[in-house]
Amino acid sequence: MHPNEPGGQAHGLAARPGTGQVSLVALTKRFGSFVAVDSIDLEIPAGGFFSLLGPSGCGKTTTLRMIAGFEEPTSGRVLLDGQDIARTPPSKRPVNTVFQSYALFPHLRVFDNVAFGLRRAGVPRDEVRQRTGQALELVQLSDYARRKPGQLSGGQQQRVALARALVLRPAVLLLDEPLGALDAKLRRQLQVELKQLQAQVGITFVYVTHDQEEALTMSDRIAVVNRGRIEQAATPQDLYEEPANAFVADFLGVSNLMDATVAGPSGAGAQVRLSDSFSVEVQRGDVACRGPAKVVIRPERIGVEPAGSPGSNRIPGLLTNVVYLGSGLQLAIQLASGHAVTALVPNTGEDAVSAWSPGMSVACYLPPSGLRILGGDPPAGGRADDPANGAG
Amino acid sequence: MRLTSRLGSAGLAVYFWAFVVFLFAPLVVLLIFSVNKSATPTLPLSGFSTRWFHEAFGNGELTGALLRSIAIALIAAVLSTALGIMASLGLLVLRGRAAALALTVLLLPLVVPYICLAVGLLILVQEVGARPSLVAVILGHCVIVLPFAILVIMPRLRSLDPAMNEAAQDLGASPLAALRLITLPLLAPALVSSGIICFVTSFDEFAIASFLAPSGQPTYPVFLYASARTPALLPEVIAVGALIIAGSIMLVVLAEGGRRWAERRLVGQTAGSGPLTAPDSEQPATFAIGNG
Repeated sequence: MHPNEPGGQAHGLAARPGTGQVSLVALTKRFGSFVAVDSIDLEIPAGGFFSLLGPSGCGKTTTLRMIAGFEEPTSGRVLLDGQDIARTPPSKRPVNTVFQSYALFPHLRVFDNVAFGLRRAGVPRDEVRQRTGQALELVQLSDYARRKPGQLSGGQQQRVALARALVLRPAVLLLDEPLGALDAKLRRQLQVELKQLQAQVGITFVYVTHDQEEALTMSDRIAVVNRGRIEQAATPQDLYEEPANAFVADFLGVSNLMDATVAGPSGAGAQVRLSDSFSVEVQRGDVACRGPAKVVIRPERIGVEPAGSPGSNRIPGLLTNVVYLGSGLQLAIQLASGHAVTALVPNTGEDAVSAWSPGMSVACYLPPSGLRILGGDPPAGGRADDPANGAG
Repeated sequence: MRLTSRLGSAGLAVYFWAFVVFLFAPLVVLLIFSVNKSATPTLPLSGFSTRWFHEAFGNGELTGALLRSIAIALIAAVLSTALGIMASLGLLVLRGRAAALALTVLLLPLVVPYICLAVGLLILVQEVGARPSLVAVILGHCVIVLPFAILVIMPRLRSLDPAMNEAAQDLGASPLAALRLITLPLLAPALVSSGIICFVTSFDEFAIASFLAPSGQPTYPVFLYASARTPALLPEVIAVGALIIAGSIMLVVLAEGGRRWAERRLVGQTAGSGPLTAPDSEQPATFAIGNG
């Protein structure tokens, strides 16, 4: 940590350029026989907003705690700007944490909470006062410096925790579901502000969340974690548009996953049999594979049309349920191919809303560019390359 | 809604007052006879006098025993509270069977009769070649009051967010500094309670002290037991007893006041510190980023 280094910027909280790059190399953590983190390799670029996204118990928090130093890896390395810090105690790492519970010190005033790290580092009294003041200003809590944490609202406490960590100018800021305890509206506002803050100070943020929307909104890059492994690490757009496997497709928003058989080439993509009598053209994903595979399409990419609409890639279906979402309608459709899918249609006016009712016959247009064959995650029993297998 | 019948509530009242009398009559008797003129504590009362207090404090043996007991109780209270902190911190990180076993061992003195402990300690002291001494009494008292310290400190420690200790270390504090700056201040109310309970228990203890205190250096309970059989000393003993009751009441009141004060300090609700505004509306301020 370099708490004595004078801040170049007026707010004095900006990152030193080019620092804060984290690499995890074959990182493993076992608790007894349970493997919480299973040989993870991950590059976290400097100065970005990086999210670890996954269901609870997937190992994302354990990974974060190994970067912070609260857990010692069973094996593997944690590199910060090229240096292995896996055995460095948390107090000696230029890494600070915003805890899920905030972990503010209830017996210390807000000012003393924020000044805690500076005083530990032996920063001179005047500089402590100045930098603590700046940090409180940054989170707009200057008027609350003399309060105890117990006298603040949840949102204010969260900001104290943020100021307390940022005031030390860490190379990396770790955030463990910091918005989890707040209500939905406040959370959405803080998501945007946290992202702005990160962009301004340029410190590497590593953000743990189980909320896919939160991760998509805020991150430059996301690593989807499942059962102690990284399923995919990519930009939000790539994760959403080009999920590497069924887990990623399913975890990032609602997806329609359909079992199908890739029969052969077709145009720019592949011919995929959804059932004995229905085939579609698929242009994206692992179009070179053959045999049983999963095909995925986002609800908003399905075009719902009146029954009997002509054209290819259209499957007849029965509307089984209609949910009014305000901005749109969520339609549950049983396709004639045997698959149940969910479609989203925009609310374009009263006619659009009243046009649909359960029991209607419809046609679903599954555009070739919206369908995607998922590779790398073959169904149980492995992928058969024998075309006859699925031709039935 | 009536919870009891008229007869039932009358019965409850009788029971309540009988209970109060049973509890406090001995203390009241002591207070009354401490200022009674007569040298024998018998009715009728023979008039007000503070003579026995003067005589008690003129009695070097009595005051010596009293001071000895206070010193022993203070040392035992401080020692066992410190040990209680350490034991509680250790119990916090133990899991499963090891934790249960360690706790059982630590709390065992609660269920072992003091007299057995006393005999055991006496034999032990002699086996290691030492002689009965006040140090032996202090160590013996530490054994019996440590369970109280643990029972008071551990629940408080368990209620603290473990992330607070991690946060302190994350911000650059060594584990020891985190303990000193965060954990101990937050434990303060429990430490005060532990100190008082340990002090009172040690001060009161007879069996161990009677076996381990060297002859000529009795603790106060041991001295009392010996003098209660000397009629001439009885009025003085009663006077000191009255003082101790008064002192105990003061101690409890002070401790409770101190505990409340400490708790208030923790949440920061200092009474009368101006308008205590409720937490402001949840409207998040936009982060004011100073631009260079």
